[in-house]
Amino acid sequence: MGPFFRQLIAVTIINVKSIPQRFWLSLSTVVAITLVVVVLLSFLAMANGFRRTIAGSGADDVAIILRGGSQSEINSTVSRDQVRLIEDSPGILRNTEGKPVVSAELYLTVDGVKRSSGTKANLPLRGIGQAGLAARKHVDIVAGRMFNAGANELVVGKGLLSEFEGFEIGKTVTFGTTRWTIVGVFEAAGSVFESEIWADLPVVQSLFKRTNFFQTVRARLQNPGTLAALKAYVDGDPRLKLDVKSEAEYFAEQAAQTTDLIQKLGWPLAIAMAFGALAGALNTMYSSVAARAVEIATLRAIGFGAFPAFVGTLIESLILAAAGGTIGAVTTFLLFDGFTASTLGASFTQVVFSFKLSPALIAQGIGLALAVGVIGGLFPAIRAARMPIVSGLYG
Amino acid sequence: MSDFSLICRNLFRRKLRAFLMIVSILIAFLIFGVLAAFERSLNRGEDDAAADRLVTVNKVNFTQPMPIAYYNRVRGVAGVRQVTYANWFGGYYQDPKNILVVFAVDPTSYLDVFSNEIAVTPDAREAFVRERTSALVGETMATKWGWKIGDRVPIASNIFSQKSGARSWDFTIAGIFTNKTPQFSTNLMLFHHDYFNETRTFGKDTIGWMVLQTTSPAANDRVAKTIDAMFANSSDETSTDTEKAFNRAFAAQLGNIALIVVLVVGAAFATILMIVGNTMVMTVRERTREIGVLKALGFPRGRILRLVLGESVVLALLGGLVGMALAVLAIWAMRPGLAQFGARMAMTPGILFFAIGLMLALGILTGTVPAINAMRLNIAESLGRS
Repeated sequence: MGPFFRQLIAVTIINVKSIPQRFWLSLSTVVAITLVVVVLLSFLAMANGFRRTIAGSGADDVAIILRGGSQSEINSTVSRDQVRLIEDSPGILRNTEGKPVVSAELYLTVDGVKRSSGTKANLPLRGIGQAGLAARKHVDIVAGRMFNAGANELVVGKGLLSEFEGFEIGKTVTFGTTRWTIVGVFEAAGSVFESEIWADLPVVQSLFKRTNFFQTVRARLQNPGTLAALKAYVDGDPRLKLDVKSEAEYFAEQAAQTTDLIQKLGWPLAIAMAFGALAGALNTMYSSVAARAVEIATLRAIGFGAFPAFVGTLIESLILAAAGGTIGAVTTFLLFDGFTASTLGASFTQVVFSFKLSPALIAQGIGLALAVGVIGGLFPAIRAARMPIVSGLYG
Repeated sequence: MSDFSLICRNLFRRKLRAFLMIVSILIAFLIFGVLAAFERSLNRGEDDAAADRLVTVNKVNFTQPMPIAYYNRVRGVAGVRQVTYANWFGGYYQDPKNILVVFAVDPTSYLDVFSNEIAVTPDAREAFVRERTSALVGETMATKWGWKIGDRVPIASNIFSQKSGARSWDFTIAGIFTNKTPQFSTNLMLFHHDYFNETRTFGKDTIGWMVLQTTSPAANDRVAKTIDAMFANSSDETSTDTEKAFNRAFAAQLGNIALIVVLVVGAAFATILMIVGNTMVMTVRERTREIGVLKALGFPRGRILRLVLGESVVLALLGGLVGMALAVLAIWAMRPGLAQFGARMAMTPGILFFAIGLMLALGILTGTVPAINAMRLNIAESLGRS
């Protein structure tokens, strides 16, 4: 085994040391693989960031109740009578005064101007009741204060503030004929709520002519297990043709469609580009074998085996691919990780999210790079191993 | 032997290498073709928009309703040729996941305003206008669900309910329409707003948006200002824009798709530029002695330059044209999957011409350095080099 390994190492070192002789060709292979990995990882980071923002919004112990079949909050309608019936349901947490923690909410779309494009985009304006904060966890006012009951005041999510113009504290915004003052900014653990504008429910209802009109009901559950009791209660009452889901389940469904779409775009693109890079890698490695024909034949003539010639070429290819993959992952991390963007979510309103790389995604990127390296090196390596010694010596 | 056949012989001397380069160029153009068509389909509204059409929506946001009474007031504005209105229905068929694009419209005026887009037979039009509970269905949608004229289909709404408590409305299909421009999606269903208005539980006497045609594009600005001024300070102010601007803003909501497309296509082209460029330099270097021979035979410098440049241009055209042909196939294959988003991808002449420009640019860019190297070769030196 000893001499065999020494042969392997010697040939591999010769291969690696010869890379600078084909500097530009090798570099173009590395860059091609880098670009493939950057494209793949930026799409995957986009999908991952979007999914984390939406799916991370939902709690297990909060139920969301929508009109049956409505799929998203924007479409749903729930009447005041239905809200009252829900409040009597078993399974819902009660506060110290014995009142159920139920927040009936209104979800409207208003225009805001996106900083990046300067164009109008749909923003969600949510009217929340007194129980609105109690029905959510991890919501904190980080600047200014909460809106006062009955006032034309707004609090805005941190994400919305960063992506859209004119929502700084103290500014006023006009929705139709009504003027509102922004009094606070809230954080909600990076969730989709940070892309929303919140105001007092009765004020929104009256100014938008939606008196006695609600869209969704959020109820804090005693524990995640009591969801079944709430569901059974709603299903058992013919006046309540409503869908009951845990908030976590609702947001997971919301995230799925867009995330799928981004991944369905990203993977085929990256694979198509990988084929282009593969053609480049094959070209480079065949050139490497051709350029070293004399060298390989000489080594074979002085007693080196065919296998070390094979491994040397394959390793050269893998080194180029690994370099491309690593540079690609680092570039994506530096350029795109934490990059914020916004797009339309399932409720037809803007969702602000950040690109997020993860070790699992990086592994996928490097895996693709190495796959290009293996295939790109395999055939030239076979040629190197099979090269006839005599004709090789003559160059 | 003509120069062209010499170029081809040179190109395919190393078949594997030529094949690999063609594949890498082909893939870059495949990516370009598909992404450009995708981007165009998203912005298709912008290209499609008639110059004399305006869209009026509630100023708060286009999802907010406005009173139906606005329709008659807008109709009276000087410079307005015709107006129609519509309401988003939030339709689905059988399962909430089978989302349908359904508008509640005023039949006559809607078909008039969109007469350059919607093709419908006089019989179908007559039947649709006459029968209050009928619907007019686009070809794509009718084909997808296997609907025929006369079928009675229950269409549910994820927003509205009927006064009877039902969530679905039964429509009789009065006719199936096709499109007059390929970009207009026929994944669409139209039904009577009157019928919708009478049966729905809330939002009575409101409409979602109005589309109006002006007497000439020159009148657009004045008409838009007049309409918005007319409803200023009322409880529902309006925002009137050209259809083009409205569609552009709508597409921009998804994000900067154009930028993503440019970045990805840019990455793909940077890749092939490096691969093909380097390979061409290497190829010419290998042929040093031959080029010396050609020169010794009296080939002028310009001809040598043309031979090498011609080789890289032929290579780019070969890869590029095959790539664009594959892109057309890919677009055709992807169409059914994307139809539900209302996007209709198509290879336009504009994209094709741009691609040919790119092929020439790529060929010239990758061939220039080696061609100049070849042209400047010194005969004595090149014949001496092995």
